[in-house]
Amino acid sequence: MTALAEAGTRWSRQADPESTRRQSIAQVWRGFLTATRLGWQTEANWTNPVVYFLYAVCTPVFATLMLVFMIQVISGGNAPPAYRAYVVIGSGLWSFVVAGIAGLAWAVLDDRERYRMLKYLFVSPNDLLVLLLGRGLARMMVGAMGAIVTLGLGVVVLGLPLDLARIDWPVLVAAMVLGLVSIVALGLILASVAMQTRQDSWHYPEAVSGALFLIVGAVFPLNILPTFAQAFGLISPLTWWLEAVRRALFPDIQSGIGGAGSLYASLAGHDAPSGIEALLALLLTTVVVTLAAVATYRWSEHRAKERGLFDVTTGS
Amino acid sequence: MTAAKGSAERTPSAARSPFVYRPTASPEEAARWEPRRILITNVRSIAGRAYPRLIGLRREPSWILFEILLPFLTTSAFVFVYRALQSPPEYIGFVVLGGAMTAFWMNVMWMMAAQLYWEKDQGNLERYFTAPMSMMAILLGMAIGGLLMSTFRAGIVLLVGTIVYGVVFSVDQWFLLLGVFVLFLTALYGLGMMLATLFVLWGREAWHLTQIMAEPVYFVSGLNFPVARLGLFGAAALGTIPLAVGLDAIRQLAFAGSTNTGSFISPEGEALLLVAMTIVFIGLARYLLRIIERLARQDGKLITRTS
Repeated sequence: MTALAEAGTRWSRQADPESTRRQSIAQVWRGFLTATRLGWQTEANWTNPVVYFLYAVCTPVFATLMLVFMIQVISGGNAPPAYRAYVVIGSGLWSFVVAGIAGLAWAVLDDRERYRMLKYLFVSPNDLLVLLLGRGLARMMVGAMGAIVTLGLGVVVLGLPLDLARIDWPVLVAAMVLGLVSIVALGLILASVAMQTRQDSWHYPEAVSGALFLIVGAVFPLNILPTFAQAFGLISPLTWWLEAVRRALFPDIQSGIGGAGSLYASLAGHDAPSGIEALLALLLTTVVVTLAAVATYRWSEHRAKERGLFDVTTGS
Repeated sequence: MTAAKGSAERTPSAARSPFVYRPTASPEEAARWEPRRILITNVRSIAGRAYPRLIGLRREPSWILFEILLPFLTTSAFVFVYRALQSPPEYIGFVVLGGAMTAFWMNVMWMMAAQLYWEKDQGNLERYFTAPMSMMAILLGMAIGGLLMSTFRAGIVLLVGTIVYGVVFSVDQWFLLLGVFVLFLTALYGLGMMLATLFVLWGREAWHLTQIMAEPVYFVSGLNFPVARLGLFGAAALGTIPLAVGLDAIRQLAFAGSTNTGSFISPEGEALLLVAMTIVFIGLARYLLRIIERLARQDGKLITRTS
């Protein structure tokens, strides 16, 4: 075992055995807040807040515009508002996924390849996982900006029929909380992969979120996909998150999961899931993904420690 | 005896490399290089800079999954959007073509434009400037290596997309199509060379600019639909972004006779536009390189690793 690995074990696993539980929790909380603040500064302090805001919302807004314009081109300007709402919600919320998945993986890559601080963070008296979660939260806030602006533009500019009185707030809040947990869990899996890879991993989060974009019914209903792809979609928490949020915001919106010929309809015996049904499925899949993420991360951290990967700069 | 042998092995010898071990009477004479020597050194620099990009393809096979297969799934998502809308079949072809062409744009943005900035981060840029070679040779080596990588990726996306989604191309002018494609690449990588120098000047903003130059550029370049449908924005994109011009010209030539490929300019006109872009971008790259070289020598900070 290297000196670095020994130090990591000493500090992160047995940090000050004489401290009380309360002191330990306070230390974890302090580490998390510091990491979040650091993540935000790293993200945002290269420019002034207005320019940064424009930067943060530019990508999701143009991604949504691309889809809306595709619909307009094909429909000759007569696209059904329901489908437009479907696309805008899916595309807007997707900026959470892109930011959340990339946040943790890029925190590992940034600190290992660019700032060369990962080894020092690992031996600091904080759990590296807590620090990475803090960094991930900072990026998630950037994603939130993009999502809010995109949905706002959808309502104001594209005329989405959002009625505040008809929103199912409890389902919306619960779906958002569980959805964000599942995104962080997916990000943690990617961070675990980034810890192990030897070369250029910067594109991995984007590639993975792009692949998930296909199978979760973000911008088209799942029943268009082949059955095996629908099955992958049904085991992803993101599918249920998007469905639950759509149902909560627009109760009459087209289902992204059910519909004629869908795998869901053949399995469940009814056409489309209700908001509560989507929420329960989201809870179940989130628990599974979170447990898998924690296990993957712990394995990856252990392997990186044993092989000295925290100390290796790959030059990517 | 052993020491003498070792010393003899280290002694410069004309037989080893006349360029490296050329005996000269003075430093001034050593600094005077004949054109042939400059040319050969620059060619070797091009090959040397292209080499890691090509050898990297073999050493880290995970890129096949993350840079080809998964991005292909993103392209597929747009195909399914058109299918959900029951669009004419050409539009599926537009998406597949656009998905293939994004490989070049991504490569230019991440592995050309941002590359000198990364090199600075890693401490290599200082070495490039002190080495006796042209920085244009380094940029060209990066471009050639990246081009081969991207062509491989684009080819796979095009091939698999065509087979899986049943895209039918209709090409009447093969030579013009090939010519436009080559011009598109020269203009695009010329832009990459120019941006590479700008990104060194812009420092940390480079990372963010690279990220921001994806979706907005895809939208105004008409990645998944004819750019002419964007009206004034489309015309502006055709005048400034090689991706918009190349994509529009290739789309017109690859779907000859289709009523859905309407454009402002003919493919021949777009070929001329690409020639003009190539000249402007490469000329600007040379000019900007001189500026950063001067700033690097004058201030001694521009090329030094800071983070």
